[in-house]
Formats: sequence, structure tokens, C-alpha cells
Amino acid sequence: MSRLSRFRAVGWPAHTHPSSLWLIAATPPAAVALAQGGGPAAVTLLTALVTALAWEQIFATLRHRPPSAHGAVTALVVAVLTPLNVAAWELGLAVSLGVVLAELVFGGRGFGFVSTPAACLAFLGFSFPHVQLADPGAWVAVASLPGAALLLVAGLVSWRVLSAAAAGFAVTALLTTGVLPPGVFVPLTFGAVFLLADPVGASATNPGRWLYGLLAGFLVALFGGFDGETAPIAVVLATLLANTFAPLIDQIVIAVEVGRRRRRV
Amino acid sequence: MSALRHLTAPLIRENPITLQILGICSALAVTTSLTTAATMCAALTVVLTLSATIISAIRRHIPSSIRLIVQITIISSLVIVIDEFLQAYAFSISQRLSIFVGLIVTNCIVLGRAEAFAVRNPPLPAAFDALGNGLGYSLILLIVGTIREFFGAGTLFGYAVVVTQADGGWFQPLGLMQLAPSAFFIIGLLIWAIRTRWTTQIEAPEHRIGRVSEERS
Repeated sequence: MSRLSRFRAVGWPAHTHPSSLWLIAATPPAAVALAQGGGPAAVTLLTALVTALAWEQIFATLRHRPPSAHGAVTALVVAVLTPLNVAAWELGLAVSLGVVLAELVFGGRGFGFVSTPAACLAFLGFSFPHVQLADPGAWVAVASLPGAALLLVAGLVSWRVLSAAAAGFAVTALLTTGVLPPGVFVPLTFGAVFLLADPVGASATNPGRWLYGLLAGFLVALFGGFDGETAPIAVVLATLLANTFAPLIDQIVIAVEVGRRRRRV
Repeated sequence: MSALRHLTAPLIRENPITLQILGICSALAVTTSLTTAATMCAALTVVLTLSATIISAIRRHIPSSIRLIVQITIISSLVIVIDEFLQAYAFSISQRLSIFVGLIVTNCIVLGRAEAFAVRNPPLPAAFDALGNGLGYSLILLIVGTIREFFGAGTLFGYAVVVTQADGGWFQPLGLMQLAPSAFFIIGLLIWAIRTRWTTQIEAPEHRIGRVSEERS
């Protein structure tokens, strides 16, 4: 039984597209960020939305396919972590590069191997040295919890990845600093759900998901995830690096499993 | 006519970088500015053409079992000459290119053309083939170098083309362009563009994905 059909069994309409669930999940945190940021945040959100959807439309037209709505999810996630001092053209360029190079050149959502919003944010951070990704704050973290629950129930986000990432981060934090105030998880919540656990970049086997999560959590701590200021960029970079290891982790898990079954026969 | 074909084919249709994906390391390393890219192009083209001509001229005298050693010896001798020449007449550029001129010895294009073409063809076609490959490499490096230097620093060959914000102008350099990944992206986009235009270059997919009914999760 597929994960989505299990979700339908509890009364969700059949044929719900995963992108609509992602959109529902990403809307509350984006709305909170919009309410906090006011006018400049609206410009940011609008720029990200128009850019991402325009590229989706261009590629859909060129490939004679129906356009995907997932660009809207990418735009919402990127907008939450984009600081307000970023000019519209800078954000437009970063979103263009991220959406095209991390997703559309591979054939669209699900065919790439890295999280698209993480790629957009990395382009933003590397291209413009004055940009420091925004700390989403506690209210965004709270607002992302209902969406996280929805995605978990629908099986679009793996609880194994999230638990392992939390564990990897906590263990690394304890080993390096000796203390672990619960508050350090707050700035990481949004990124963990919408970047780290994005199934496009995460491992696809269950043991692989544990390993991927542990690696990602360790990397977040290594890149400065304790500090509220550096936490967002730490999650973005940890996501990209862990994403590149996910296929290798899966390969090893499958090889081990094949070897185990062969010995049993 | 056929000699001319050896010269023009490697420019785009059989380009060493975009079709054979050779010589990528130096294409990433030296393209942050157009000056270093152009110097590297000249050095590689000279070494490539001379080594292919020499190897082709003595191809009947090289014992097959030690031919790689002989080829490498000829190539590295030429590289040393070029390196010394740059240090004597263009010291600052030679400093910026650091080890990459020396590493022409290990450049896959040089040994590749020697092994694939020069050892079994007369000197003139071998020279044209090597020159064509050198120019094909140079074409890609100069395109990448132009894009990276212009968008990364607002200059071309070190001369300011647009005034950057740091100097009171409007142009804001893209930091990413001065980092190695941007060369990967530009070369990737070039390959994409070339293979869209010349569709015979598209490789057969290694595996196909079946009908996808729902998102992988």
C-alpha cells in the first residue's frame, strides 16, 4: 500500500496531488513570515512566486507537459528564509538558478537529487556576500508544526529522517558544547521539515533514512546550527551536502541487504 | 580539404570539452579571469600542436610497448619550455596560473590526441587535428572566462567594463562567478545549448524511468 493511499484511507479526497499537500503545509509559516515582515516581505514573496512559476511555465510549454504547481511551494519556503535586505533582482536570479539547475533541467519535481529551495538559498548566499539568511523566529517554527504533521501523516516527509536529524544534531551539540538548551531546536524546525526532509533529496530506504538524518543533523551542528544567526545557512548547506550523499547511502543499504538475502538462501 | 575538416570538426561538433568532457579541471581553475584563460589557451594549443606533430613525425620509430612513455616525455619537455617562457616574459601571469601550466602534461586532451590521432596519421593532419582541438578548448575557455570575469568582477582582461558598486557605480558583482561551481554550471549550460542544437551529440540514456504515477517519498 502506498503512503498516499494510506493517507486517503483516513478520508482525504482521492488523487490529491502531493504538491497541494506541500502547499497547504508551507502556507502557515509563509503567512507568519509575511505578517512579521510587512511590505518588504510581500515583495520578496511575490518575486519568488512569479520567478519560480514563470520558469515552471516556460519548461512545461517547451516540453509540452502540464505545468507543475510545485514552484509555488519552492517560492514559499525560499521567501521565509530570505532576509528583507535582499533586492528583488537578486532574489529573482537566485530562484531562477535554483529552480532551473536543481529541478527543471532534470525533468521537474522528483527527478533531481537536491532540495530545490536549498539550492535557491545557497545561490543567494554565495552570490551576494552581504546576504545573511533570515532567522525565521519562533512563530514560524510554531506555524510549521501543523504542516509537518500533515506531511508526516501523508508519508511525504519521513519521521525517520526527522528523528535521526534531531538525534544527530543533539548528540553533536552535546559532545562539542556540553549543553543542549531546548531553544536551539526552534530556528531549525522550519528548515528541517521543508529542506532536510524533502524526499527528493533524502534517502529512500528506511535504514538509509536513519543514516541520512544522522549525517544531516551532524552537519547542521558542524556548520553552526546552535546559533540563531547562522542556523538557517547551516541547515541549507547541510541539506545540500547530505543530499549528495543520499544516493550513496541508499546504494550501500541496498548492497548490504542484497548480500544478507543471498547468504540466507 | 580533409586537413581543413580535421581543423574545424573539434571546434563544436567534436569539441574536447563539451563532447568528450576532457580537460575540465583546468577549465574550472583558470577561467576566473580572461587573461589567465587566454594564456592557458595559448600554452595548451602550442603544446598540443607541437607534441602531436613531433609524435606523428616519429610514429613509425616508436616501439608500441613504450609509446606512452615516449609521448609523455615529449609532452613534458614542451610543457617545461612553455613554463620557462612564461616565467621569463610574463612572470605575473605565470604566478597566477601557478601549477596549471605545468599540469598541461596531465591534460587528457594532449595525451588523448597523441594516442587517438597522432600515432596513426601523418604530421600535417595530426597538426591540424591538434590545432583544431586546441582551438576548440580555447573557444570554451574564453566563453567561460568572459562570463565569469564580467559577471564576477565587471572587468574584461582586467579593464573595467562597468563601474562596480564598490567604486560608486551600479554594478554588483556576483560572488558565485568567482567560485569554481559557476564554471561547472556555465559548461553544463553550454553543453545543454550545444546538444539542443546538434542533437546527434545526445547520448543514449543509461536507464529509463517507467511511468511515474506518484511522487517518490
